[in-house]
Amino acid sequence: MFAFSSIRPPVPPELAATLRPITFATNRRIALDEPWRSLVPGGGLRRGSTISVQAPSGAGGLSLALSLLASASARGHWAAVVGVDDPGVVAMADLGIDLRRVLFVPRPRGAWAESVADLLDGVDLVVVRPPSRAAVGSARGLTDRVRERGAVLLVVGESATTWPLPVDLSFSVAHAQWSASSRLNGRTLRVRIEGRAGVRAGEHVVVLPDRRGRAVAG
Amino acid sequence: MERLIGVWIKSLRVEALDGSTLRESLALLDALGVVCPFTEVIHLGFYVLPSRGPSRFFGGEARVLEVVATVVRDVLGREASLGVADGLFCCELAAREGVVLAPGATDEYRRSRPLAVLGRRDLATTGRRLGLKTVGDFAELARARVNERFSAPVLQLHRVARGELAELPGQRDLRLDARLRRLREADRPDEQRGFFGQRGAADERAHAAALRLRQRLGADGVAVAALRGGRLPQDRAALVPWGSPTATSEGDAPWPGQLRAPSPATVFAHPVAVQLRGATSGPVLVDERGSLSAPPTTFAFASSGSRAVIWYAGPWPLVERWWSLARRRAHLQVLLETGEALLLVAESGRWSLAGVYD
Repeated sequence: MFAFSSIRPPVPPELAATLRPITFATNRRIALDEPWRSLVPGGGLRRGSTISVQAPSGAGGLSLALSLLASASARGHWAAVVGVDDPGVVAMADLGIDLRRVLFVPRPRGAWAESVADLLDGVDLVVVRPPSRAAVGSARGLTDRVRERGAVLLVVGESATTWPLPVDLSFSVAHAQWSASSRLNGRTLRVRIEGRAGVRAGEHVVVLPDRRGRAVAG
Repeated sequence: MERLIGVWIKSLRVEALDGSTLRESLALLDALGVVCPFTEVIHLGFYVLPSRGPSRFFGGEARVLEVVATVVRDVLGREASLGVADGLFCCELAAREGVVLAPGATDEYRRSRPLAVLGRRDLATTGRRLGLKTVGDFAELARARVNERFSAPVLQLHRVARGELAELPGQRDLRLDARLRRLREADRPDEQRGFFGQRGAADERAHAAALRLRQRLGADGVAVAALRGGRLPQDRAALVPWGSPTATSEGDAPWPGQLRAPSPATVFAHPVAVQLRGATSGPVLVDERGSLSAPPTTFAFASSGSRAVIWYAGPWPLVERWWSLARRRAHLQVLLETGEALLLVAESGRWSLAGVYD
Protein backbone atom coordinates (compact mmCIF):
# COMPACT_ATOMS: atom_id res chain seq x y z
CA MET A 1 0.00 0.00 0.00
CA PHE A 2 2.92 2.33 0.69
CA ALA A 3 4.07 1.85 -2.84
CA PHE A 4 1.13 3.88 -4.08
CA SER A 5 1.21 6.51 -1.39
CA SER A 6 3.10 9.70 -2.13
CA ILE A 7 4.24 10.06 1.48
CA ARG A 8 6.21 7.09 2.75
CA PRO A 9 6.61 6.63 6.46
CA PRO A 10 10.28 6.70 7.50
CA VAL A 11 11.89 3.27 7.63
CA PRO A 12 13.15 2.46 11.13
CA PRO A 13 16.95 2.18 11.14
CA GLU A 14 17.00 -1.41 12.49
CA LEU A 15 14.71 -2.47 9.65
CA ALA A 16 16.82 -0.58 7.13
CA ALA A 17 19.82 -2.62 8.16
CA THR A 18 18.07 -5.84 7.22
CA LEU A 19 16.84 -4.43 3.91
CA ARG A 20 20.31 -4.06 2.45
CA PRO A 21 21.02 -6.26 -0.51
CA ILE A 22 22.17 -9.65 0.61
CA THR A 23 24.73 -10.21 -2.10
CA PHE A 24 27.50 -7.67 -2.20
CA ALA A 25 29.80 -7.36 -5.12
CA THR A 26 32.64 -8.40 -2.83
CA ASN A 27 30.79 -11.59 -1.94
CA ARG A 28 30.78 -12.42 -5.59
CA ARG A 29 34.54 -12.64 -5.41
CA ILE A 30 36.72 -15.10 -3.56
CA ALA A 31 39.35 -12.90 -2.00
CA LEU A 32 43.04 -13.30 -2.79
CA ASP A 33 46.04 -12.38 -0.69
CA GLU A 34 49.19 -10.65 -1.84
CA PRO A 35 50.88 -10.88 -4.28
CA TRP A 36 47.81 -11.64 -6.37
CA ARG A 37 45.40 -9.22 -4.70
CA SER A 38 46.94 -6.13 -6.27
CA LEU A 39 47.32 -7.76 -9.68
CA VAL A 40 43.83 -9.14 -10.20
CA PRO A 41 40.79 -6.89 -10.79
CA GLY A 42 38.68 -6.60 -7.65
CA GLY A 43 41.39 -8.28 -5.62
CA GLY A 44 39.81 -11.68 -5.98
CA LEU A 45 38.57 -14.45 -8.22
CA ARG A 46 35.08 -13.67 -9.46
CA ARG A 47 32.61 -16.42 -8.71
CA GLY A 48 31.33 -18.12 -11.82
CA SER A 49 34.52 -17.49 -13.76
CA THR A 50 36.79 -19.85 -15.63
CA ILE A 51 40.48 -19.10 -15.33
CA SER A 52 43.37 -20.57 -17.24
CA VAL A 53 46.92 -21.00 -16.01
CA GLN A 54 49.53 -21.73 -18.67
CA ALA A 55 53.19 -22.46 -18.29
CA PRO A 56 55.76 -24.57 -20.10
CA SER A 57 56.57 -27.89 -18.46
CA GLY A 58 58.35 -27.38 -15.15
CA ALA A 59 57.93 -23.58 -15.18
CA GLY A 60 55.62 -23.36 -12.23
CA GLY A 61 52.12 -23.62 -13.72
CA LEU A 62 50.95 -26.02 -11.06
CA SER A 63 52.48 -23.98 -8.24
CA LEU A 64 50.82 -20.85 -9.59
CA ALA A 65 47.38 -22.46 -9.72
CA LEU A 66 47.79 -23.89 -6.24
CA SER A 67 48.92 -20.53 -4.87
CA LEU A 68 45.65 -19.05 -6.13
CA LEU A 69 43.84 -21.56 -3.90
CA ALA A 70 45.76 -20.70 -0.78
CA SER A 71 43.93 -17.66 0.53
CA ALA A 72 40.49 -19.09 -0.24
CA SER A 73 41.35 -22.36 1.45
CA ALA A 74 42.68 -20.56 4.52
CA ARG A 75 39.38 -18.64 4.71
CA GLY A 76 37.36 -21.83 4.85
CA HIS A 77 36.47 -22.46 1.22
CA TRP A 78 36.59 -26.00 -0.06
CA ALA A 79 38.77 -26.78 -3.07
CA ALA A 80 39.47 -29.76 -5.27
CA VAL A 81 42.45 -30.78 -7.39
CA VAL A 82 41.65 -32.99 -10.38
CA GLY A 83 44.01 -34.76 -12.73
CA VAL A 84 47.23 -33.98 -10.86
CA ASP A 85 48.66 -37.48 -10.51
CA ASP A 86 51.21 -36.83 -7.82
CA PRO A 87 50.47 -33.60 -5.97
CA GLY A 88 53.18 -32.20 -3.72
CA VAL A 89 51.16 -32.05 -0.57
CA VAL A 90 53.96 -30.53 1.49
CA ALA A 91 54.34 -27.72 -1.05
CA MET A 92 50.60 -27.10 -0.84
CA ALA A 93 50.77 -26.86 2.94
CA ASP A 94 53.72 -24.47 2.62
CA LEU A 95 51.67 -22.27 0.29
CA GLY A 96 49.11 -21.90 3.07
CA ILE A 97 46.46 -24.29 1.80
CA ASP A 98 44.36 -25.90 4.50
CA LEU A 99 44.57 -29.55 3.47
CA ARG A 100 41.55 -30.49 5.54
CA ARG A 101 39.37 -28.81 2.96
CA VAL A 102 40.93 -30.12 -0.24
CA LEU A 103 39.65 -33.11 -2.18
CA PHE A 104 41.99 -34.83 -4.61
CA VAL A 105 40.97 -36.77 -7.67
CA PRO A 106 44.42 -37.82 -8.85
CA ARG A 107 43.53 -40.14 -11.68
CA PRO A 108 40.06 -39.50 -13.07
CA ARG A 109 41.07 -41.34 -16.27
CA GLY A 110 38.45 -40.73 -18.95
CA ALA A 111 35.98 -39.16 -16.55
CA TRP A 112 37.78 -35.92 -15.73
CA ALA A 113 35.05 -33.64 -17.07
CA GLU A 114 32.35 -35.54 -15.21
CA SER A 115 34.46 -35.47 -12.06
CA VAL A 116 34.89 -31.70 -12.32
CA ALA A 117 31.15 -31.29 -12.89
CA ASP A 118 30.39 -33.32 -9.77
CA LEU A 119 32.89 -31.34 -7.71
CA LEU A 120 31.55 -27.98 -8.86
CA ASP A 121 28.37 -28.82 -6.97
CA GLY A 122 30.26 -29.27 -3.76
CA VAL A 123 33.35 -27.07 -3.63
CA ASP A 124 34.10 -23.42 -4.40
CA LEU A 125 37.31 -23.84 -6.39
CA VAL A 126 38.42 -26.62 -8.69
CA VAL A 127 41.91 -26.89 -10.15
CA VAL A 128 41.99 -29.24 -13.10
CA ARG A 129 44.87 -30.40 -15.28
CA PRO A 130 43.04 -32.07 -18.16
CA PRO A 131 44.88 -35.19 -19.33
CA SER A 132 44.07 -34.24 -22.91
CA ARG A 133 42.71 -31.27 -24.80
CA ALA A 134 39.15 -30.61 -23.66
CA ALA A 135 36.38 -31.11 -26.19
CA VAL A 136 34.42 -27.95 -26.97
CA GLY A 137 31.17 -29.52 -25.80
CA SER A 138 32.39 -30.61 -22.41
CA ALA A 139 34.25 -27.32 -21.92
CA ARG A 140 31.06 -25.39 -22.61
CA GLY A 141 29.13 -27.62 -20.23
CA LEU A 142 31.66 -27.00 -17.48
CA THR A 143 31.74 -23.23 -18.10
CA ASP A 144 27.96 -23.13 -17.74
CA ARG A 145 28.08 -25.23 -14.61
CA VAL A 146 30.73 -22.96 -13.08
CA ARG A 147 28.59 -19.87 -13.77
CA GLU A 148 25.43 -21.48 -12.45
CA ARG A 149 27.07 -22.70 -9.25
CA GLY A 150 29.10 -19.58 -8.59
CA ALA A 151 32.27 -21.61 -8.34
CA VAL A 152 35.71 -20.92 -9.83
CA LEU A 153 37.39 -23.28 -12.27
CA LEU A 154 41.16 -23.08 -12.77
CA VAL A 155 42.46 -24.95 -15.80
CA VAL A 156 46.18 -25.73 -15.78
CA GLY A 157 47.91 -26.55 -19.03
CA GLU A 158 51.12 -26.18 -20.95
CA SER A 159 49.61 -24.22 -23.80
CA ALA A 160 46.60 -22.14 -24.70
CA THR A 161 45.05 -25.02 -26.60
CA THR A 162 44.26 -27.00 -23.45
CA TRP A 163 41.00 -25.11 -23.05
CA PRO A 164 39.13 -24.46 -26.30
CA LEU A 165 36.91 -21.59 -25.08
CA PRO A 166 37.73 -18.01 -24.10
CA VAL A 167 38.34 -17.62 -20.37
CA ASP A 168 37.54 -14.81 -17.96
CA LEU A 169 41.06 -14.44 -16.69
CA SER A 170 44.30 -16.01 -17.81
CA PHE A 171 47.67 -16.32 -16.14
CA SER A 172 50.60 -17.30 -18.30
CA VAL A 173 54.17 -17.75 -17.21
CA ALA A 174 56.44 -15.99 -19.70
CA HIS A 175 59.69 -16.75 -17.96
CA ALA A 176 60.85 -18.73 -14.96
CA GLN A 177 64.26 -18.45 -13.32
CA TRP A 178 65.54 -20.28 -10.26
CA SER A 179 67.90 -18.64 -7.86
CA ALA A 180 70.13 -21.04 -6.02
CA SER A 181 73.04 -20.94 -3.66
CA SER A 182 73.73 -23.96 -1.50
CA ARG A 183 70.19 -25.08 -2.25
CA LEU A 184 67.23 -23.91 -4.31
CA ASN A 185 66.20 -20.56 -2.87
CA GLY A 186 63.31 -19.44 -4.97
CA ARG A 187 61.95 -19.09 -8.44
CA THR A 188 61.16 -15.79 -10.09
CA LEU A 189 58.23 -15.96 -12.46
CA ARG A 190 57.28 -13.32 -15.00
CA VAL A 191 53.53 -13.71 -15.24
CA ARG A 192 51.29 -12.16 -17.84
CA ILE A 193 47.72 -11.66 -16.64
CA GLU A 194 45.01 -11.06 -19.19
CA GLY A 195 41.33 -10.62 -18.61
CA ARG A 196 38.19 -9.07 -19.89
CA ALA A 197 38.38 -5.84 -17.93
CA GLY A 198 40.30 -4.01 -15.26
CA VAL A 199 43.51 -5.98 -15.50
CA ARG A 200 46.78 -4.14 -15.11
CA ALA A 201 48.46 -4.96 -18.35
CA GLY A 202 52.02 -6.11 -18.71
CA GLU A 203 54.16 -8.66 -16.99
CA HIS A 204 54.30 -9.00 -13.25
CA VAL A 205 57.13 -10.49 -11.28
CA VAL A 206 56.25 -12.99 -8.58
CA VAL A 207 58.57 -15.19 -6.55
CA LEU A 208 56.97 -18.62 -6.31
CA PRO A 209 58.00 -20.52 -4.30
CA ASP A 210 60.25 -18.45 -2.07
CA ARG A 211 62.50 -19.80 0.67
CA ARG A 212 59.49 -20.67 2.80
CA GLY A 213 57.54 -22.16 -0.09
CA ARG A 214 55.16 -19.19 -0.39
CA ALA A 215 54.26 -16.78 -3.17
CA VAL A 216 55.50 -13.21 -2.74
CA ALA A 217 55.69 -10.16 -4.98
CA GLY A 218 59.03 -9.91 -6.74
CA MET B 1 66.15 -60.10 -0.33
CA GLU B 2 65.02 -59.82 3.21
CA ARG B 3 64.51 -62.99 5.22
CA LEU B 4 60.86 -63.13 6.23
CA ILE B 5 58.70 -65.20 8.54
CA GLY B 6 55.37 -66.06 6.94
CA VAL B 7 52.23 -66.98 8.86
CA TRP B 8 49.60 -68.82 6.83
CA ILE B 9 46.15 -69.45 8.26
CA LYS B 10 44.08 -71.30 5.73
CA SER B 11 40.74 -70.74 7.44
CA LEU B 12 41.11 -66.96 7.07
CA ARG B 13 41.74 -67.10 3.33
CA VAL B 14 38.09 -67.08 2.30
CA GLU B 15 36.09 -64.20 3.66
CA ALA B 16 32.93 -65.11 5.56
CA LEU B 17 29.82 -63.07 4.89
CA ASP B 18 29.28 -62.10 8.54
CA GLY B 19 32.56 -60.14 8.71
CA SER B 20 34.12 -62.53 11.24
CA THR B 21 37.14 -63.16 8.97
CA LEU B 22 38.02 -59.50 8.89
CA ARG B 23 37.61 -59.11 12.65
CA GLU B 24 39.81 -62.15 13.30
CA SER B 25 42.40 -60.87 10.83
CA LEU B 26 42.52 -57.55 12.64
CA ALA B 27 42.80 -59.20 16.06
CA LEU B 28 45.69 -61.34 14.85
CA LEU B 29 47.43 -58.40 13.19
CA ASP B 30 47.28 -56.43 16.44
CA ALA B 31 48.56 -59.41 18.43
CA LEU B 32 51.45 -60.08 16.03
CA GLY B 33 52.20 -56.37 16.02
CA VAL B 34 53.25 -56.79 19.64
CA VAL B 35 55.80 -59.45 18.64
CA CYS B 36 57.13 -57.28 15.83
CA PRO B 37 55.84 -53.81 14.91
CA PHE B 38 56.74 -54.40 11.26
CA THR B 39 54.20 -57.21 10.91
CA GLU B 40 52.15 -56.82 7.74
CA VAL B 41 49.08 -58.55 6.47
CA ILE B 42 49.68 -59.23 2.78
CA HIS B 43 46.28 -60.66 1.99
CA LEU B 44 43.63 -62.45 4.00
CA GLY B 45 45.19 -65.42 5.75
CA PHE B 46 48.82 -64.45 5.17
CA TYR B 47 50.98 -62.37 7.51
CA VAL B 48 54.63 -61.51 7.26
CA LEU B 49 57.21 -60.26 9.72
CA PRO B 50 60.95 -59.74 9.24
CA SER B 51 63.12 -62.43 10.77
CA ARG B 52 66.24 -60.50 11.70
CA GLY B 53 65.09 -58.04 14.37
CA PRO B 54 62.74 -60.34 16.30
CA SER B 55 65.29 -63.19 16.15
CA ARG B 56 67.83 -61.04 17.86
CA PHE B 57 65.28 -59.89 20.42
CA PHE B 58 63.84 -63.30 21.27
CA GLY B 59 67.12 -65.14 20.99
CA GLY B 60 66.91 -67.05 17.75
CA GLU B 61 64.52 -67.64 14.88
CA ALA B 62 63.22 -70.91 16.36
CA ARG B 63 62.17 -69.01 19.45
CA VAL B 64 60.32 -66.39 17.34
CA LEU B 65 58.46 -69.15 15.52
CA GLU B 66 57.39 -70.61 18.88
CA VAL B 67 56.17 -67.20 20.06
CA VAL B 68 54.26 -66.59 16.81
CA ALA B 69 52.66 -70.06 16.95
CA THR B 70 51.58 -69.41 20.54
CA VAL B 71 50.13 -66.00 19.62
CA VAL B 72 48.06 -67.49 16.78
CA ARG B 73 46.85 -70.29 19.04
CA ASP B 74 45.84 -67.81 21.75
CA VAL B 75 44.07 -65.39 19.42
CA LEU B 76 42.34 -67.75 17.01
CA GLY B 77 42.41 -71.10 18.79
CA ARG B 78 43.82 -72.64 15.62
CA GLU B 79 47.22 -73.75 14.38
CA ALA B 80 49.11 -71.63 11.90
CA SER B 81 51.40 -72.91 9.21
CA LEU B 82 54.72 -71.10 9.53
CA GLY B 83 57.50 -70.74 6.99
CA VAL B 84 60.71 -68.81 6.61
CA ALA B 85 62.29 -67.79 3.30
CA ASP B 86 63.82 -64.81 1.50
CA GLY B 87 61.41 -62.50 -0.29
CA LEU B 88 57.66 -62.30 -0.13
CA PHE B 89 56.91 -64.76 -2.93
CA CYS B 90 58.96 -67.62 -1.54
CA CYS B 91 57.91 -66.77 1.98
CA GLU B 92 54.28 -67.42 1.10
CA LEU B 93 55.13 -70.72 -0.60
CA ALA B 94 57.18 -71.79 2.40
CA ALA B 95 54.47 -70.74 4.84
CA ARG B 96 51.79 -72.66 2.98
CA GLU B 97 53.96 -75.78 3.05
CA GLY B 98 55.21 -75.10 6.56
CA VAL B 99 58.90 -75.27 5.73
CA VAL B 100 61.71 -73.24 7.28
CA LEU B 101 64.44 -72.78 4.71
CA ALA B 102 68.04 -72.48 5.77
CA PRO B 103 69.69 -69.15 4.88
CA GLY B 104 70.69 -69.29 1.22
CA ALA B 105 68.40 -72.19 0.38
CA THR B 106 65.62 -70.04 -0.99
CA ASP B 107 66.92 -69.99 -4.55
CA GLU B 108 67.04 -73.75 -4.87
CA TYR B 109 63.65 -74.07 -3.20
CA ARG B 110 62.03 -71.61 -5.59
CA ARG B 111 63.48 -73.36 -8.62
CA SER B 112 62.16 -76.72 -7.49
CA ARG B 113 58.54 -75.57 -7.21
CA PRO B 114 56.06 -76.52 -9.95
CA LEU B 115 55.37 -73.80 -12.49
CA ALA B 116 51.76 -73.45 -11.32
CA VAL B 117 52.86 -71.63 -8.15
CA LEU B 118 53.35 -68.50 -10.24
CA GLY B 119 49.58 -68.35 -10.27
CA ARG B 120 48.80 -68.38 -14.00
CA ARG B 121 47.10 -71.44 -15.31
CA ASP B 122 47.76 -70.52 -18.96
CA LEU B 123 51.46 -70.25 -18.30
CA ALA B 124 51.48 -73.57 -16.46
CA THR B 125 49.65 -75.29 -19.34
CA THR B 126 51.89 -73.79 -22.02
CA GLY B 127 54.91 -74.57 -19.90
CA ARG B 128 53.93 -78.22 -19.55
CA ARG B 129 53.63 -78.52 -23.32
CA LEU B 130 57.04 -76.94 -23.73
CA GLY B 131 58.52 -79.29 -21.16
CA LEU B 132 58.91 -76.61 -18.49
CA LYS B 133 57.81 -78.30 -15.28
CA THR B 134 59.32 -76.18 -12.55
CA VAL B 135 59.88 -72.52 -11.81
CA GLY B 136 63.57 -73.21 -12.36
CA ASP B 137 62.93 -74.49 -15.89
CA PHE B 138 61.04 -71.32 -16.67
CA ALA B 139 63.76 -69.15 -15.14
CA GLU B 140 66.34 -70.78 -17.41
CA LEU B 141 64.63 -69.31 -20.48
CA ALA B 142 66.38 -66.22 -21.78
CA ARG B 143 64.42 -63.05 -21.16
CA ALA B 144 64.34 -62.22 -24.85
CA ARG B 145 62.68 -65.57 -25.60
CA VAL B 146 60.04 -64.95 -22.94
CA ASN B 147 59.49 -61.46 -24.28
CA GLU B 148 58.90 -62.84 -27.79
CA ARG B 149 56.27 -65.32 -26.75
CA PHE B 150 54.47 -63.93 -23.74
CA SER B 151 52.77 -60.78 -22.57
CA ALA B 152 54.25 -58.21 -20.18
CA PRO B 153 52.71 -59.73 -17.01
CA VAL B 154 54.44 -63.02 -17.78
CA LEU B 155 57.71 -61.14 -18.15
CA GLN B 156 57.20 -59.92 -14.60
CA LEU B 157 56.62 -63.52 -13.50
CA HIS B 158 59.83 -64.47 -15.25
CA ARG B 159 61.66 -61.92 -13.13
CA VAL B 160 60.03 -63.43 -10.03
CA ALA B 161 61.10 -66.89 -11.18
CA ARG B 162 64.67 -65.69 -11.60
CA GLY B 163 64.63 -64.17 -8.15
CA GLU B 164 64.93 -60.59 -9.44
CA LEU B 165 61.60 -59.57 -7.98
CA ALA B 166 60.77 -60.46 -4.42
CA GLU B 167 57.01 -60.49 -4.75
CA LEU B 168 54.45 -61.63 -7.24
CA PRO B 169 52.52 -58.79 -8.91
CA GLY B 170 49.10 -58.81 -7.27
CA GLN B 171 50.26 -60.79 -4.28
CA ARG B 172 49.35 -57.96 -1.93
CA ASP B 173 45.73 -57.08 -1.32
CA LEU B 174 46.05 -53.32 -1.55
CA ARG B 175 42.61 -52.57 -0.17
CA LEU B 176 42.94 -54.80 2.88
CA ASP B 177 44.92 -52.33 4.95
CA ALA B 178 42.33 -49.60 4.55
CA ARG B 179 39.50 -52.02 5.30
CA LEU B 180 41.13 -53.17 8.50
CA ARG B 181 41.77 -49.60 9.57
CA ARG B 182 38.14 -48.73 8.94
CA LEU B 183 37.07 -51.72 11.01
CA ARG B 184 39.34 -50.69 13.86
CA GLU B 185 37.82 -47.22 13.77
CA ALA B 186 34.26 -48.60 13.75
CA ASP B 187 34.99 -50.45 16.98
CA ARG B 188 35.45 -47.13 18.73
CA PRO B 189 32.21 -45.30 18.08
CA ASP B 190 32.66 -42.33 20.44
CA GLU B 191 35.81 -41.22 18.70
CA GLN B 192 35.66 -38.56 16.04
CA ARG B 193 35.40 -40.11 12.63
CA GLY B 194 36.38 -38.71 9.29
CA PHE B 195 37.38 -35.21 8.44
CA PHE B 196 34.45 -33.11 9.28
CA GLY B 197 34.81 -31.76 12.79
CA GLN B 198 31.83 -29.48 13.01
CA ARG B 199 30.01 -29.72 9.79
CA GLY B 200 28.72 -26.54 8.28
CA ALA B 201 26.65 -26.24 5.14
CA ALA B 202 29.76 -25.98 2.97
CA ASP B 203 31.23 -29.09 4.54
CA GLU B 204 28.00 -30.99 3.93
CA ARG B 205 28.03 -29.90 0.31
CA ALA B 206 31.64 -31.01 -0.19
CA HIS B 207 30.86 -34.24 1.58
CA ALA B 208 27.94 -34.95 -0.75
CA ALA B 209 30.02 -34.18 -3.84
CA ALA B 210 32.82 -36.45 -2.67
CA LEU B 211 30.36 -39.25 -1.98
CA ARG B 212 28.86 -38.95 -5.45
CA LEU B 213 32.30 -38.90 -7.02
CA ARG B 214 33.36 -41.97 -5.11
CA GLN B 215 30.40 -43.82 -6.53
CA ARG B 216 31.52 -42.76 -9.99
CA LEU B 217 35.24 -43.52 -9.67
CA GLY B 218 35.45 -46.23 -7.02
CA ALA B 219 36.79 -46.30 -3.49
CA ASP B 220 40.23 -44.92 -4.35
CA GLY B 221 38.96 -42.28 -6.74
CA VAL B 222 38.68 -39.43 -4.24
CA ALA B 223 41.46 -38.76 -1.80
CA VAL B 224 42.43 -36.37 0.94
CA ALA B 225 45.93 -35.51 2.09
CA ALA B 226 47.46 -36.33 5.41
CA LEU B 227 50.69 -34.78 6.62
CA ARG B 228 52.90 -36.66 9.02
CA GLY B 229 56.46 -36.67 10.23
CA GLY B 230 59.24 -37.58 7.84
CA ARG B 231 62.29 -36.30 6.06
CA LEU B 232 61.48 -36.34 2.38
CA PRO B 233 58.32 -34.92 0.80
CA GLN B 234 57.16 -38.38 -0.27
CA ASP B 235 57.50 -39.61 3.33
CA ARG B 236 55.77 -36.61 4.85
CA ALA B 237 52.60 -36.67 2.83
CA ALA B 238 50.18 -39.31 1.82
CA LEU B 239 46.97 -39.30 -0.13
CA VAL B 240 44.47 -41.52 1.62
CA PRO B 241 41.14 -42.53 0.13
CA TRP B 242 38.41 -40.13 1.15
CA GLY B 243 36.27 -41.51 3.95
CA SER B 244 39.00 -43.56 5.55
CA PRO B 245 39.99 -42.42 9.02
CA THR B 246 42.90 -40.01 9.09
CA ALA B 247 46.22 -40.57 10.70
CA THR B 248 46.99 -38.12 13.48
CA SER B 249 48.70 -35.14 11.97
CA GLU B 250 52.17 -34.53 13.31
CA GLY B 251 53.29 -32.49 10.35
CA ASP B 252 54.42 -29.55 12.45
CA ALA B 253 56.69 -31.50 14.76
CA PRO B 254 60.38 -30.78 14.23
CA TRP B 255 61.91 -33.57 12.26
CA PRO B 256 65.70 -33.54 12.13
CA GLY B 257 67.13 -33.76 8.66
CA GLN B 258 63.90 -32.65 7.04
CA LEU B 259 64.26 -31.19 3.58
CA ARG B 260 63.57 -27.48 3.92
CA ALA B 261 61.09 -25.46 1.86
CA PRO B 262 60.56 -24.96 -1.00
CA SER B 263 59.15 -28.39 -1.55
CA PRO B 264 58.36 -29.84 -5.02
CA ALA B 265 54.84 -29.21 -6.31
CA THR B 266 54.85 -32.66 -7.89
CA VAL B 267 55.92 -35.50 -5.63
CA PHE B 268 55.86 -38.99 -7.06
CA ALA B 269 54.22 -41.58 -4.87
CA HIS B 270 56.25 -44.15 -6.80
CA PRO B 271 59.61 -42.58 -7.65
CA VAL B 272 60.72 -42.93 -11.26
CA ALA B 273 64.10 -44.52 -12.02
CA VAL B 274 66.52 -42.05 -13.64
CA GLN B 275 70.19 -41.89 -14.55
CA LEU B 276 72.74 -39.35 -13.50
CA ARG B 277 76.13 -39.30 -15.21
CA GLY B 278 79.32 -37.39 -14.73
CA ALA B 279 81.71 -35.85 -17.23
CA THR B 280 83.35 -39.20 -17.93
CA SER B 281 79.80 -40.45 -18.72
CA GLY B 282 80.00 -43.03 -15.94
CA PRO B 283 77.15 -43.15 -13.45
CA VAL B 284 77.41 -40.81 -10.45
CA LEU B 285 77.27 -42.63 -7.12
CA VAL B 286 76.97 -41.57 -3.51
CA ASP B 287 79.68 -43.15 -1.39
CA GLU B 288 79.45 -44.23 2.23
CA ARG B 289 80.53 -40.85 3.51
CA GLY B 290 77.73 -39.22 1.57
CA SER B 291 79.68 -37.48 -1.15
CA LEU B 292 79.30 -37.80 -4.91
CA SER B 293 81.78 -39.84 -6.93
CA ALA B 294 81.82 -37.14 -9.63
CA PRO B 295 79.94 -33.91 -10.33
CA PRO B 296 76.82 -34.78 -12.32
CA THR B 297 76.64 -33.34 -15.82
CA THR B 298 73.79 -35.14 -17.54
CA PHE B 299 70.40 -36.40 -16.46
CA ALA B 300 68.32 -38.96 -18.32
CA PHE B 301 65.18 -40.94 -17.82
CA ALA B 302 65.70 -44.66 -18.20
CA SER B 303 64.10 -44.55 -21.63
CA SER B 304 64.53 -41.19 -23.33
CA GLY B 305 67.22 -38.67 -24.21
CA SER B 306 69.45 -36.87 -21.78
CA ARG B 307 69.64 -33.25 -20.67
CA ALA B 308 72.51 -31.29 -19.20
CA VAL B 309 72.68 -30.55 -15.49
CA ILE B 310 73.65 -26.91 -14.98
CA TRP B 311 73.60 -26.78 -11.18
CA TYR B 312 73.21 -29.14 -8.28
CA ALA B 313 73.10 -29.02 -4.51
CA GLY B 314 73.68 -31.81 -2.09
CA PRO B 315 73.80 -34.68 -1.63
CA TRP B 316 72.24 -34.52 1.79
CA PRO B 317 72.45 -37.96 3.28
CA LEU B 318 69.50 -39.17 5.29
CA VAL B 319 70.69 -41.09 8.28
CA GLU B 320 67.66 -43.09 9.23
CA ARG B 321 67.35 -46.62 10.51
CA TRP B 322 71.14 -46.63 10.37
CA TRP B 323 71.21 -50.22 11.62
CA SER B 324 69.70 -51.34 8.35
CA LEU B 325 71.98 -51.07 5.34
CA ALA B 326 68.96 -51.38 3.08
CA ARG B 327 67.78 -47.90 4.06
CA ARG B 328 70.49 -45.47 3.21
CA ARG B 329 69.29 -42.54 1.18
CA ALA B 330 70.59 -39.21 0.03
CA HIS B 331 68.85 -36.46 -1.85
CA LEU B 332 70.07 -34.04 -4.43
CA GLN B 333 68.57 -30.95 -6.03
CA VAL B 334 69.45 -30.45 -9.70
CA LEU B 335 68.66 -27.74 -12.21
CA LEU B 336 68.50 -28.75 -15.86
CA GLU B 337 69.37 -26.71 -18.93
CA THR B 338 65.65 -26.57 -19.70
CA GLY B 339 65.05 -24.62 -16.48
CA GLU B 340 63.37 -27.47 -14.64
CA ALA B 341 64.35 -28.11 -11.05
CA LEU B 342 64.22 -31.68 -9.79
CA LEU B 343 64.58 -33.50 -6.51
CA LEU B 344 66.47 -36.78 -6.86
CA VAL B 345 66.98 -39.53 -4.31
CA ALA B 346 69.81 -42.05 -4.29
CA GLU B 347 69.09 -45.34 -2.62
CA SER B 348 71.31 -48.42 -2.79
CA GLY B 349 73.27 -47.10 -5.76
CA ARG B 350 70.30 -46.10 -7.88
CA TRP B 351 68.81 -42.69 -8.58
CA SER B 352 65.16 -41.96 -8.73
CA LEU B 353 63.14 -38.85 -9.42
CA ALA B 354 61.25 -37.98 -6.25
CA GLY B 355 59.74 -34.69 -7.28
CA VAL B 356 59.55 -31.84 -9.77
CA TYR B 357 59.49 -28.22 -8.68
CA ASP B 358 56.60 -27.65 -11.07
